[in-house]
This record gives sequence, C-alpha cells and structure tokens, in this order.
Amino acid sequence: MLEKIQESVSVELVFNSQTKKIFPRHLAWRGKTYQIDKVGLHHFFRQGRTLFHVFSVLSGGLFFRLKLNTDNLHWTLEEIAEN
Amino acid sequence: MLQNQVTAPFNPKPSTVMHLDLNSCFATIEQQANPNFRGKPVVVAAYPTDNGCIIAPSTEAKRIGIKVGMRVREGKALYPKLIVLPPDPWKYRFVNRKLLHLLQEYSPKISVKSIDEMVLDFQNTPYLSKGVINLACKIKKRVKKEIGSFLTVSIGIAPNRFLAKTASLLHKPDGLDEINLQNFQEIYKKLRVEQLCGIKTGNGVRLNSAGIFTAFDMYQATVAKLKSAFCSILGYYWYLRLRGYEIDEIEFARKSYGQSYALYKPLTVETGITKILCKLVEKMGTRLRCAGYSAKGIHVACRYSDYSFWHHGQTLLQRIYASNDLYRAAVKVLFSSPIKKPVRLLAVSCFNLEKNRNYQLTLLPQEEKRRSLTLALDAITNKFGDFTVFPAIMMGTEDKVPDRVAFGGIKE
Repeated sequence: MLEKIQESVSVELVFNSQTKKIFPRHLAWRGKTYQIDKVGLHHFFRQGRTLFHVFSVLSGGLFFRLKLNTDNLHWTLEEIAEN
Repeated sequence: MLQNQVTAPFNPKPSTVMHLDLNSCFATIEQQANPNFRGKPVVVAAYPTDNGCIIAPSTEAKRIGIKVGMRVREGKALYPKLIVLPPDPWKYRFVNRKLLHLLQEYSPKISVKSIDEMVLDFQNTPYLSKGVINLACKIKKRVKKEIGSFLTVSIGIAPNRFLAKTASLLHKPDGLDEINLQNFQEIYKKLRVEQLCGIKTGNGVRLNSAGIFTAFDMYQATVAKLKSAFCSILGYYWYLRLRGYEIDEIEFARKSYGQSYALYKPLTVETGITKILCKLVEKMGTRLRCAGYSAKGIHVACRYSDYSFWHHGQTLLQRIYASNDLYRAAVKVLFSSPIKKPVRLLAVSCFNLEKNRNYQLTLLPQEEKRRSLTLALDAITNKFGDFTVFPAIMMGTEDKVPDRVAFGGIKE
C-alpha cells in the first residue's frame, strides 16, 4: 500500500570515485535507521531552475521514494510502500 | 493514372531501419523503480480511482486480459489485487531521454515517435557493416545495464519504417525480428490486414470487401485494386509500404498548441468552467511562447455530460501570445456555444502559428508594457516553476489539469 509522506528525512549518500556511482546507503526516519539494499531507479527533473534527484529505493522489503533538492541539499521522504 | 501502372518487387535494399519500442513503458518503468512490483500485475491509470482510465498495463496485467482504455474497476474485476498507480511523467520522460542519448551514439538519424518509440536509420553509418541484428542485441543489453535491468525493448528491423514497426510488433515483449526480402512472404501470410499499423475496422472492412484478408493478399494486389479498395491515393502508399519503400519519413511541422482536461465533476460557466479554461490557456500559452510562436486563431471544444459535442474555432485579426489575450479570446469562443450543459471534457488550442522573428515596434505604450510583463512572468516561471504567479481566477485549481505525457510524438 503506497502512502504519501512528504517529510524531511536524513540520508547518507556515498559517492564512489572509482565507479563514478552514487548510492544512498542509509536513511533515518521517525527515530529508526534503514539500510538501503537496492536502488530501483534514480531519475531527476527540474522545477523552475531547481534540480531534484529522486531515488526509488528498497530497504528490507519496504519501498521509499527519496527526493534531494539540489538548491539546499535537503532530503524529503515522499512515499513509502510495503511489499 | 501513372501510379496504376507501377509494378515493383520487394525492395532489395538491406535492412537499415530499426524501430524500438519500450515494452509496457509506463508500467515497466514503475516496476523498475519499485522492485516489489516486479512479476505482479500493475497498471498506470490516469486516476487511481475506480473510474480512472488505464493507460498502461504491465506485461503481467496484459496476460490476464487487462487492456489500455479499460476502467480501473474493470481491471480489478479481472484481478482484485491489481496494483494501480498514478502517472509520474518526469520518470517516463527521464527514461525516454536516457534511451535517446544511448541511441544517438549509433546514428545521427533518429526520430522520437512517442514517449516509448524511436526509429533509427543506419544508412551511411559505420555501424551498418557490423550487422543491424548485432547492433540490436548490443542495444538491448545496454538498455538493461545503463537504464534499468527490468526494462525490455522490442526491436524491429526492415528496409523501411513501416515494416520495422511491424517487425517490432511480431514478438512482444523483448522481441527482435527482421522483415526482409527473404522472409517477408512467410510473415505476410500470417498477418491479418487489421494487424497492420494504420488499418483498423473501417479500412479492414474496405479491404475484406475487395477480397483482401491478409498482408500477403494486400502485397499481391495491384495499385489499381488497392486504390479502389481505399478509394484514395492511400492504396498506392500501401503498395509501396508493403514492398519496403520509404514513404513515412516525414516530420510534420507544428501547426497548433493545445491542452485538454477531462473533468471528474462536470462544470458549467456558473460553477467554474472558466477557471479550468484559464489553467489550460496558461499552460498552452507558456508552451507557445517558449517555442517562440504567436497565434492568430483559437479553438475551443467541449464534450458535455450527455456526451454531446460542440467545438468552434475563430481566426483572429492580430497575432497574440500573452496568456491573458489567449484567455480572453478562448472565453469569447466558449461563451458563443449555444449549449449550456455541464462540460465533461474541455479542450483549447491555438492555431495559425507564426514564428516570433521581428516584433513590430508599436506606438502604443501599453503594448510595450504588456510585452515586458509577459517576458517577466515567463522569466519567473522559468526560475521558480509553473504557476508561481497565476491569474486570480485560477484559485482553487491546484489539483486540476495535472502534468501528463501526451500520446503521439514528443515535440518539445
């Protein structure tokens, strides 16, 4: 069941200089830390001049949609869904 | 008629055209984003409510009989646990752009036919010597590796665009087929005329009544017979298409800009249809000016709650570009409708486009002010996003006229 959240969230993002790949490793939301197992899709779009990166990720069967605002580097948890 | 005397064999030219179709595009992209949805029947619907129209079923949903155009209710009747998702246009545009960038490495001659279909021509490219089939296999692998491991493309290869598309439809999903001089007869014998892209019930009946039932019957027919079946020059075009000659390599110029919206709750002028019209015009005006055009015509179409239809277009004396001018012209057309019933579907478009090359200097100071104001408003939109500043009449329409991916070609 998909649930809209729209809350600020803490995310640890790792950049690997060898593979030139980025990977959101952990997210902390409502006092709980989730380790991210898989990135389903990473896409981006612009709203006006602001560039947003969206990571659709899985953590232990839970789906999270994370949005990074590249103007202020703040993360938002947009959606969550159970398997 | 000269065309009636034409007799041509199948085009012996090598297959240089490749048609790519991203299978079950929207639904597969959603399955790519959320791995929990993979292997399950998923649909993307215009609205996820029971009355919402299904616009993209996944391969699994198609297998249980769910089709494009069905209502969500009908889909759930076939499979109660059906996963229904709203559209996420930016996700689909992103995949479309990534696919385009990948394909641009292989040929400079590439046409984006729609959000999920692209055509490449390898003629006069160094890749042709490596074999188009090998290239297709490589592209399929790269799509999986670089765009999404769950995404699949069906590829068709042929001497012309039409046959390449036909080949891409032969095996879905993840197909790879070629139609060429060696195998076309065998393939045509298995294809009913209605299975050809561009022929549906009406043309099918016309061809059937002329004794043409399969693509092979159509191939064997003379130009004169096809022209008499279609009652037009189309018969000649089909004659060439089925022989692998290129007649579809046409990029149509932009002739109009338009927006439409199907209302959940039908509205009248008294209950706020002009608010919706204003939002549609704002979106249309931004696109018009962004592409550097002005318009000298406006058209409004309405489908009413009893499914009756009315439309009217008006040619204007002066070319206009500002959203408030476009809105004023559209309202005038809407108010000229003799039907006062609630509107279920509203569409507005502007036509008679002219490229803004040199603005005529004006003696009227208000015209210069209007031009500067429009430029300033567009600059705000570009910096902060759509509807940062909007007309007061649009208040309360935040959840109306959402962003959508249009069917057909992507021109902007």
